[in-house]
Amino acid sequence: MNKAIFISIGISALLVGGMFWFVSGNIDVGANAAGDTSAVSISDGKQFIDVSAKGGYSPRVILAKAGTPTILRVKTSGTFDCSASLVIPKLSYQKFLQPSGTEEIAISAEQAQGTMQGLCSMGMYNFQIKFQ
Amino acid sequence: MTNSNQKTYIFHVRGMHCDACTLLIEETFKELPYVSRVHASLPNHQVTITGNFSEPLELIAEKLTELVKSHGYTVSLEKSQKSAGWGDFVYALPIALVTIVGFFALQKAGFANLITSSNVTYGTAFIIGLIASVSTCLAVVGGLVLSLSASSAKEGGTWRTQTMFHVGRLGGFFVLGGAIGAVGSSLHLGLNANIVLGIVVALVMLILGINLLDVFHFTKRLQFTLPKWISRHVVRGSRHDHYLAPLLVGVGTFFLPCGFTQSMQLYALTTGSFMKGALTMTVFALGTLPVLALLSFGSLNIAHKSWKGIFFKTAGIIVIALALLNLANALATAGIISPVFNI
Repeated sequence: MNKAIFISIGISALLVGGMFWFVSGNIDVGANAAGDTSAVSISDGKQFIDVSAKGGYSPRVILAKAGTPTILRVKTSGTFDCSASLVIPKLSYQKFLQPSGTEEIAISAEQAQGTMQGLCSMGMYNFQIKFQ
Repeated sequence: MTNSNQKTYIFHVRGMHCDACTLLIEETFKELPYVSRVHASLPNHQVTITGNFSEPLELIAEKLTELVKSHGYTVSLEKSQKSAGWGDFVYALPIALVTIVGFFALQKAGFANLITSSNVTYGTAFIIGLIASVSTCLAVVGGLVLSLSASSAKEGGTWRTQTMFHVGRLGGFFVLGGAIGAVGSSLHLGLNANIVLGIVVALVMLILGINLLDVFHFTKRLQFTLPKWISRHVVRGSRHDHYLAPLLVGVGTFFLPCGFTQSMQLYALTTGSFMKGALTMTVFALGTLPVLALLSFGSLNIAHKSWKGIFFKTAGIIVIALALLNLANALATAGIISPVFNI
């Protein structure tokens, strides 16, 4: 019996440790990655950010210029999962995106500050825009 | 029958966990010709019986057990040794953790990308349903089904209870899907309602999960039980099987926050016809049926196996973990905390 308890605790500790490693690995991607700038383009004094939504959001971390009127373009193509249900808490924005199409979300210069979090309504998928 | 023959005995009832259970036991024992008064008490797990008994106590307890055995109760003279079954955790904890890790790995697999078509036919609706049932929705809908069916099986529910849930789900998806198809206005809940619903579902799952562990006694007092007057009607009407409650819960899953369900609803909305909307949603629900049915009927079968203690504790741990996941997600959606998980 004691042996069984030891084995059980051992396996459990291994799994919990593995899970933390797995989850923290994900966080590292968010915190340490320099962020993606390729999704950002500027024309006519307006900043455009392109994000694709399908089975999660891509890119996950975006670096953008702060204090610039910005249009966030979210592209869906055959998206039926949670990422179609977009929530941006800072903008009090929630919308169900069409399965295929592009949704334009305006972010004013005042709102384009700090870190903006976008996530799906169940919270499993998310992306960040870091205005710098 | 004179009063001098009337005796009052107190028996212990094992397996009596809900208000409805006390009613059922009272109703059943009252039908015995020599019993004049029955009072079942939930917190003490006791039943007090006054009647004209001529047999020894042991025999009475056996006879009473015979009457309610099919519902999963045992009547005994002495309080049966209440063991929390800590030993079961030796197996339950690793099994639960393997399942949880497997669930996360499944999400990593990126099933959502399997859907390439942007046209929704009934075929794609079915496949989307299949995918939804192993996706993030499993954390919400599957977790709720597991917690409800395992709890129901533990309390002596039968296959009817589980079937009513699935009938309610399919029927609800047909009628409500048709309704949004015909009316064309969405039944989506707003952002705040979604968050509140997510938190409520998470809390219900948390309490059900803790109850499944069967370790702490204080949650019994927190248990979600129907008010006694409602259960009285339900019990009177259908004896021990509750038909209405699981049916309504099944219908209610239409509104559960699940991305796949909501995008199917959005599609049903654009069909503009009752039948198309109804069929799309029903086919989608059919796609989710295999996994959900496995969860509910699986727990029912296991409830009669000798290793059920391990199963209930495993289910309890999984349900608690999913509840915490849902809670974290709901709070992240509300913008209160930053997202904890990203799959």
